[in-house]
Amino acid sequence: MTAIDTAIRATAADIELIGVTKAYDAKTTVIPPINVALRPGEFTVVLGPSGCGKSTLLQMIAGLERVSGGKIVIGGREVQDLEPKHRGCAMVFQNYALYPHMTVAENMAYSLKVAGVSKADRAQRVGVVAKMVGLADFLPRKPGQLSGGQRQRVAIGRAIIREPGVLLFDEPLSNLDAQLRHDMRVELADLHRRIGATSVFVTHDQVEAMTLADRILILNKGLIEQFDTPKAIYHHPASVFVAKFIGAPPMNILAVTGDGSALRLADGQVVANYADKGSFQLGIRPEDIAVNAGGSIKAEIRYREDLGSHEILETNIADQNLRITMPFGAEIDTEQTLSLSFPRARLHLFDSETGRAIHNAFDDAKTAPTFVKEYQ
Amino acid sequence: MVENARSINIVASILLAIGILYIVGPLYLTLSTASQSYEYILTNGLAWVPGTELFTNMAKVIHDTRIPVQMLNSMIVAFSNALATCALSFLSAYAIVYFRIRWAGVVFALILATIMLPLDIRVITTYQVASNIFSPLNAVLDVTGLNALTANMFGAPVHLELSVLNTHFGLVAPLVAHGTGTFLFRQFFLTLPKDLFKAARMDGAGPIRFLIDILLPLARPSVASLFVLTFLSGWTQYLWPLVGASTPDMQTAVVGLARLVPDSDGQVPDFPMIMAGAVLVSLVPLTMIALLQRFLVQGLVLSEK
Repeated sequence: MTAIDTAIRATAADIELIGVTKAYDAKTTVIPPINVALRPGEFTVVLGPSGCGKSTLLQMIAGLERVSGGKIVIGGREVQDLEPKHRGCAMVFQNYALYPHMTVAENMAYSLKVAGVSKADRAQRVGVVAKMVGLADFLPRKPGQLSGGQRQRVAIGRAIIREPGVLLFDEPLSNLDAQLRHDMRVELADLHRRIGATSVFVTHDQVEAMTLADRILILNKGLIEQFDTPKAIYHHPASVFVAKFIGAPPMNILAVTGDGSALRLADGQVVANYADKGSFQLGIRPEDIAVNAGGSIKAEIRYREDLGSHEILETNIADQNLRITMPFGAEIDTEQTLSLSFPRARLHLFDSETGRAIHNAFDDAKTAPTFVKEYQ
Repeated sequence: MVENARSINIVASILLAIGILYIVGPLYLTLSTASQSYEYILTNGLAWVPGTELFTNMAKVIHDTRIPVQMLNSMIVAFSNALATCALSFLSAYAIVYFRIRWAGVVFALILATIMLPLDIRVITTYQVASNIFSPLNAVLDVTGLNALTANMFGAPVHLELSVLNTHFGLVAPLVAHGTGTFLFRQFFLTLPKDLFKAARMDGAGPIRFLIDILLPLARPSVASLFVLTFLSGWTQYLWPLVGASTPDMQTAVVGLARLVPDSDGQVPDFPMIMAGAVLVSLVPLTMIALLQRFLVQGLVLSEK
């Protein structure tokens, strides 16, 4: 395997988007000016709900969509006006987009053929790549004779054969079943480590984002909500949108009012001490809530979902929905009113108007609350 | 619902038999007449029994009539018609499906409209244009007043003339512009994965390369079926070749067959020879259907969708 490992190895390029915008006409702006820098060799996952502009962003980097404004710099070269083939990118598509009439070998070698690489060199490179993606025995087959996972491997092989500095993935795993998706995820992470190309991976699946990414870029309506490591995004979401988008079940968001000494729910219950006045949104993850441990916050159980390894309680607190994850085997009476406590260190506070996080709000070392820097 | 009742089976079989008789009967008469002598027809009328003169009659057609030359004309017309229609429809469908064109929908609607305006309806205007292919241009110059202007400045209006009547080009061109092929290819292209074009671009293939390397090989069955269909329709065209070609050496075989019936009254046509000619002329499309039946069916299915 070592000989193969060194055979396909890309020179990773950094990607910089400077004020890149996309608008179809005066009224429909898909992506307002966006500024972002991806480091060489980094695996970035672009995550967002459908219609947030993530695919458009990827296609602009690839050169399949024209930018309406701004610059795209790949490896120090301005590429926004170049044809896709001159940008040093390769792409894996959602529906594979394999050429149905060509064999696996021809599919993978097509870009080399277009580029005028000799037949012998093509065959040699195809051999190396086929081994890498585990398709060495399938080279003479047509895509129609392959399973979904195998087709996806052909698509990946076709992308890496040119040793591109940038690899782009457009929801490549969304057509696979759950088990295969998991296996391919592991394989992709491994391939990325071995090839080392700068990768941009578009998805709406948070599990893919959390497991694959060095950094996750969360897009909402074309705007960057947060761009950080999976850990930071999970533990320090920069906005209500991110808090609700990441985590299953998602973070609870409660409307609270600060009276100068404490944050209160609508029914007057105190959930945390806090010195500022005004209305806020308080976030707490379902797994961070402590149940029946001497807490003073009261909630009523509405519904109970047993998932085997854990259960999810849907409860009602001051007419708002609060989800609680309980470990398996916890003794809970469905009729019972729960007494909860919210650990201070696990609370997140958001501005109720902008939805942006107020960091260090519950830092008892008394650092002044800081607003998270916005990207736009 | 499929009924298994015996009575329905019998009725259906009788209906089918009548249908077959209706279609095969005239064919049989053609063959049997073609194999009798002129004298037999003169004395007996319709030939219900086959004779032995088939090859004599065919030889007569080949030596005494213009049918061989006219079959060559038919071949040229049908072949160029099929080739040009395939090329034109393929390219227009390619443009409509794969490129962002302003008014693509309107263009496609206009192309489809040609299906509702067959040549038989516009034969007079087509004749006018074919007799001078610059006549639309002349008309535009007249209407816009540009000709009045040139008449003032240079003393005479612009008037260009070029007739394509009685040429192979003139026979083929009006048949080529037809929306069915474009429709067929458009439907086919839409069934292909839509990212194929993007994938090819990422692989470095431009629009022409994509057309030749990816689209054409994939569309080969559709191209073949459209080719067969248009070849057959080109071969059996009657009205336009009748109008568009005036000399026997430019006429197509189907028109030539009709002309074998003498114009003068009172003379009994040489039916055995005419029928032998009909058999000869049908041989080409028959062979084609026999060999390329698969594509023919496929094409009919595609254009039905």
